[in-house]
Amino acid sequence: MALLTAVELTIWVLEGQIPPPIPVPGVKLGLASVVTLAAMAVLGRREAGCILLLRVILGCLFAGSFSAIIFSLAGGVLSWAVMASLIGLFPEKLLWVVSVFGAIGHNAGQLLAAVAVTKTPGLFWYGPALLTSAIVTGAFTGLGAMYLVRALRKYRERRGF
Amino acid sequence: MKRKTVFWLALFAVLAALGAGTYLLRGVAGRRAVVSVDGEPMRTVDLTAAAVPYEFTVETDYGRNTVRVSQGRIAVVDADCPNRDCVKQGTISDGAIPIVCLPHHLVIQIED
Repeated sequence: MALLTAVELTIWVLEGQIPPPIPVPGVKLGLASVVTLAAMAVLGRREAGCILLLRVILGCLFAGSFSAIIFSLAGGVLSWAVMASLIGLFPEKLLWVVSVFGAIGHNAGQLLAAVAVTKTPGLFWYGPALLTSAIVTGAFTGLGAMYLVRALRKYRERRGF
Repeated sequence: MKRKTVFWLALFAVLAALGAGTYLLRGVAGRRAVVSVDGEPMRTVDLTAAAVPYEFTVETDYGRNTVRVSQGRIAVVDADCPNRDCVKQGTISDGAIPIVCLPHHLVIQIED
């Protein structure tokens, strides 16, 4: 678990450093969520929640901003809740579908937080664009998570933990 | 199993297309930009009357943002918050995406 937290934190920090692949502000791949979802599939919901919370808190310490914590938490917690409630309903081959719903939850949470903080309901117009980006990025990170799940299972069998 | 995969792919494709469509429809250039803090309009900028680019500062209890206006475009060029996401976002010229500075509760939207 500590290893996965470190991996997720590293990915999150690195992703913040590289220029976004699509020139649309606010849209990013969310590569760190690959780890959250894979941890949920291999280790369990609660373990994935712990990893996510640690990443959010440590990540905001690294980034040095406390207002970012609320924003990051809103997305992370909603995404976790959505994925935790859906992961039992889908077979492993459809893990990417869980990932897409998780990404939609993440963006919805951040949008809600943004509207609440700025008191500007007009921001909801940005929702459809966020939906599209969530579906695309969620599908990709979901595929990534499926590969990571397979690798983790193998690693686990070899090490026997 | 196969059929389920196709079903989800199709559903998400339609949703993504709908979202992209709405985004493109809203992406028309606007004539004025509204700078608001806590949902209260602080300043309305006429984007058509900015032949010479100029800057102004929005200062509230939350913090300070420096805004640059040029013909049809607006951007936050400086802010005293730690992550400066609003500065990284760059210039906007249409109503598709607002500039949001969360720590300072500031939103810049382009309207027609």
